Amino acid sequence: MKLPLKWLKEYVDFNVTPEDFAERMLLRGFEVAEIIPEMSVDGVFVCEITNIEPHPNADKLRVCTVDVGREENLQIVTNATNVKVGDQVPLALDNAHLTGGLVIHPTKMRGVASAGMFCGNEELGITEVEYPGCENGGVMVFNEKHPNGRRIQEALDMDDCIFDIELTPNRPDCQSVIGICREAAAALGQVFREPEIKRVEGEGDVHDIARVTVENPYLCPRYTARVVTDLNIEPSPLWLQRKLKAVGLRPINNIVDITNLVLVEYGHPMHAFDLACVAENHIVVRNAAEGEIVYTLDGKERVMSADMLLIADPTKGVGVAGVMGGLNSEITGNTKATLFESAVFRPENIRSTARRLHHVTDSAARFIKGVEPVNAELALNRAIELVEELHAGKVMGGMIDVCSADLREKEVAASVSHINEILNTDLPAGKMKELLSSINIPTQAVGDTLKIRVPHFRTDIEDGVETDWDIAEEVGRLYGYTNIAPTLMRGDTFRGRVGQSFKDEDIIKDTMASLGCLELYNYNFISPKELDDLMIPGDDERRKTVKLLNPFGEDQSLMRTELAGGLLRAAALNLNRKTGFGRFFEVGNVHFDNGDLPEERKLLGVIHFGSDEDFFTLKGTLEALFEKLGIERVRFEAGGSAHLHPTQKAVMTVGGEKLGEIGTVHPKVQRAFGVSAPAFIAELDFAALRRHIARVRKYKPLPKYPAVQRDIALIVDESTTAQEVIDVIESAKARVLVENVRVFDVYRPKLPGDKGIPMGRKSMAFTFTLRSDEATLTDEQIGQAVNAILKSLKFRLGAELRA
Amino acid sequence: MFEELLAIREAALKQLTGIESADELTELSANVLGRGGKLTAILRTMGKLSAEERAEMGKRANAVKTELAEKFEQRKAQLMELAEQMKIEREAIDVTLPGKRKAVGAGALNPLTLVYREIRDALVGLGFTTFEGPEVEYDEYNFTLLNLPPNHPARDMQDTFYVNDSVLLRTHTSPCEARALKTLDLPFRLVIPGRCFRVDEPDASHSPVFMQMEGLVVDRNVSLADLKGTIDSFVKAVFGENVESRLRPSYFPFTEPSAEVDISCTICGGKGCSSCKGTGWMEIMGCGITNPHEIENCGHSSEEWRAFAWGVGVDRVACLKYGISDIRLIYEGDGRFLSQFK
Repeated sequence: MKLPLKWLKEYVDFNVTPEDFAERMLLRGFEVAEIIPEMSVDGVFVCEITNIEPHPNADKLRVCTVDVGREENLQIVTNATNVKVGDQVPLALDNAHLTGGLVIHPTKMRGVASAGMFCGNEELGITEVEYPGCENGGVMVFNEKHPNGRRIQEALDMDDCIFDIELTPNRPDCQSVIGICREAAAALGQVFREPEIKRVEGEGDVHDIARVTVENPYLCPRYTARVVTDLNIEPSPLWLQRKLKAVGLRPINNIVDITNLVLVEYGHPMHAFDLACVAENHIVVRNAAEGEIVYTLDGKERVMSADMLLIADPTKGVGVAGVMGGLNSEITGNTKATLFESAVFRPENIRSTARRLHHVTDSAARFIKGVEPVNAELALNRAIELVEELHAGKVMGGMIDVCSADLREKEVAASVSHINEILNTDLPAGKMKELLSSINIPTQAVGDTLKIRVPHFRTDIEDGVETDWDIAEEVGRLYGYTNIAPTLMRGDTFRGRVGQSFKDEDIIKDTMASLGCLELYNYNFISPKELDDLMIPGDDERRKTVKLLNPFGEDQSLMRTELAGGLLRAAALNLNRKTGFGRFFEVGNVHFDNGDLPEERKLLGVIHFGSDEDFFTLKGTLEALFEKLGIERVRFEAGGSAHLHPTQKAVMTVGGEKLGEIGTVHPKVQRAFGVSAPAFIAELDFAALRRHIARVRKYKPLPKYPAVQRDIALIVDESTTAQEVIDVIESAKARVLVENVRVFDVYRPKLPGDKGIPMGRKSMAFTFTLRSDEATLTDEQIGQAVNAILKSLKFRLGAELRA
Repeated sequence: MFEELLAIREAALKQLTGIESADELTELSANVLGRGGKLTAILRTMGKLSAEERAEMGKRANAVKTELAEKFEQRKAQLMELAEQMKIEREAIDVTLPGKRKAVGAGALNPLTLVYREIRDALVGLGFTTFEGPEVEYDEYNFTLLNLPPNHPARDMQDTFYVNDSVLLRTHTSPCEARALKTLDLPFRLVIPGRCFRVDEPDASHSPVFMQMEGLVVDRNVSLADLKGTIDSFVKAVFGENVESRLRPSYFPFTEPSAEVDISCTICGGKGCSSCKGTGWMEIMGCGITNPHEIENCGHSSEEWRAFAWGVGVDRVACLKYGISDIRLIYEGDGRFLSQFK
């Protein structure tokens, strides 16, 4: 909403600085986003030409002496031919800023010094509207006398500013100069001189020549219309053109300008039809026929559908209700009579029409924000008043009014004590009444009750559950939030706490960071191609994606079902930029479509990449995490998803429950994501992980008797895994405690007979400890235990003790 | 001459079936299609032919050339695939062998995590408990229950990603207010973190994915003054004891009265600088007394229970706190950025 200070001053005495005004408005809920100077040039002054000499070196230049109100006269070189001695002209001096970013400095022109530059209207950014006669093709010459040295802004009476005010959606009434000035007056502590609209009547009765039928009163609760004949279409007077230009509107002709001015003043969109183009002078407000075509003022074809509201005559459409008038009934230089429309249309209907026609006009925007029926009539009469003032035509008596809206003022009651409770204030009823009256909300205080006559323009104040809160908001805002002393909450005290899942997430993230990983937050959006690039099969759960109806584009159209893609993209980025970092993780949600609310699952994703990482460094990271969380006996079994290397991947389980997968990234996937180094990925289900965290940790008594360590080297089949050997060692009938079983060496023969190992078999060395809770083990016990283990290994895995 | 051409073709195809390595294939290709290859040699002799014959011969020779080149290419792809398969087989590892623990430098948490924890811990100290809800949400919870019925003009304030007519990506953490009001025993004080989504093209200060934290207090007698006091403690805990806060009127459909929270500029300390556009204040979040419609919509009496709430953008606070000039850095994943927050 643009409010020129000049305009504000018409209705309110203004006695503060623009900045002070902006601050006051801000603290009342109206943020002034920008204070725009009325004229954007700087450093331009009135000067008088006292002497003109020819330029010694150039025929087309002249050397002028000017009086700019300083002790010394200045010398200006000009190519202007329209100036003479005695003329007063605008002079841009050193460091002057002109339209289009032009900055002026003293210079020499063909060897003669020039202290500045005379300005024409274009450099000043003005037209005939602001100063008649300024568009003379040369230097602008003042028609009237000014003191030399006067700032151009003062000389042109353009020294004010324009406030660009941001409005909240609950205050559509302030989308108008009248509405915002009402608030401004209260903010300034001044009286708002609300203009009275003179009801202009005329000869005849409009009902005798024109007719309005509203077929859908739900979508059009009020339609008012008046007619003006004997039109005299011409440019508007300068004062009106100036006002429109000040708020960024282009003057067109007096009738169109009147509707635009009323839009700015009263916030109510109007339309003027050429009555000669309305068949039978009969306006019909009806739903469009499906596929009905209307050509709007901008020359575009609009294909309507049956739920859109059309302004028509008995034979054709003449406008899209609330959006734009029709080309066929436009006001032209030949228009003899016009029908002014001032109506109310249902916001949600205009919203959907404007959106579907891809055409949210200024007018539609107002209807969407909400207009009200009393204001429709005010706006219409204001327009007619302007017609009379501008002598634009002959006003016809009477007003057509098809109205199903309730025009009565609402009366609401609010509780003074409740309002004070909500705000924690102690304001007497009288004070509240005074505050509300300052913005023209008539209020009576009766005991604890405020009886309020809600003015027609305050559609936001509700009669019902919300009333006390509505009034509390007004009272609080006008009293000033800054005047309410902060308190700490009373009542019950609460034991605040961080929920267990949040705590678990903290520990997991902290552990990952301590293992050298950097934390990623990837977007949740992925492309269908990502799933292809990850070679995820068509029937995989991860293809059950949630699709967005309105994504930024195909490549961000799905909610992710895996973290792998994001991890790989981060790897590619860091490798391409040579950042030197190769360990990352993310904790994030993935979503699976299931028809209703998607299933949401939290995952931990980890990636290591680069030449110094491999499957086992990533496994080491996860083992450290499991150790920290107290998750013991996680089993790694070959297998896992297709995006992982077929012979370097594993499924991780605990007690039969799957935790997730780990693996080298498949070379094809690595190429598809443009990852230039080997990469290793793990994805773990957060909830499964949480289920196995050791919540209770109990002390185990320290061993009383010493343990002995034994190492054994075995020759086993190539296909035998370390885990299989460990399982056998742990389960052998050793009759003592076998603990801390670990593999510490693997050797494969390079040639047949190498170190006595046949081809197709390998050597694996294990270490473990033996002890007993009852006594120190004897050599015999130890020997028997080792033998039992070896026997079991031989029997179950065909393992031989290596010589 | 045609016969010769056909013979070359036959021979080449026959040889191709026996080829098992890329090197052999390269050799074959050179022998047939290369500069000194058989096919090339035949083409050289075409000068002897009549113009018509030459044209016909050229056409056929080219067809053979294209066919062979294609077949060689196919075979090459097959061989590479085979080689990759074999390499994969050769690379088989025993996944049960123990992992390796490397000595590594310290990793780092994302600034969003750090700021989220700081805010959360400040609020837990004031008696708040954590709560969370789904990122993909019902329209009903995201809007309708919060006093934003369909077609409410304020819905235009938030551009929403939709999944279907009734399901969307939540645009704020506020749907969790409705979930909490419907499921928990009153009174309560909650802090609700989570990812939110809006149709905002990414730029230095906007991200379509962002993190918000909601504070919600429901009790019998809370007031705007309590909201002010709570916000001020929260601001001081997160930004520092010397940072001031102020509330100024605003509008949100879910609160009434509504307010924007400004804090004294963290760059200039309130004197006025370019970061605060000379005002000395920076807007950080919205808050207000919960609209009684929301309390009623969620099945409680607005005469018995009052509530207040606020929603703060964790991203925005992180940017302010760490002086991050471009929000996209948080989500981009460059290690040089992420490693700075330890």
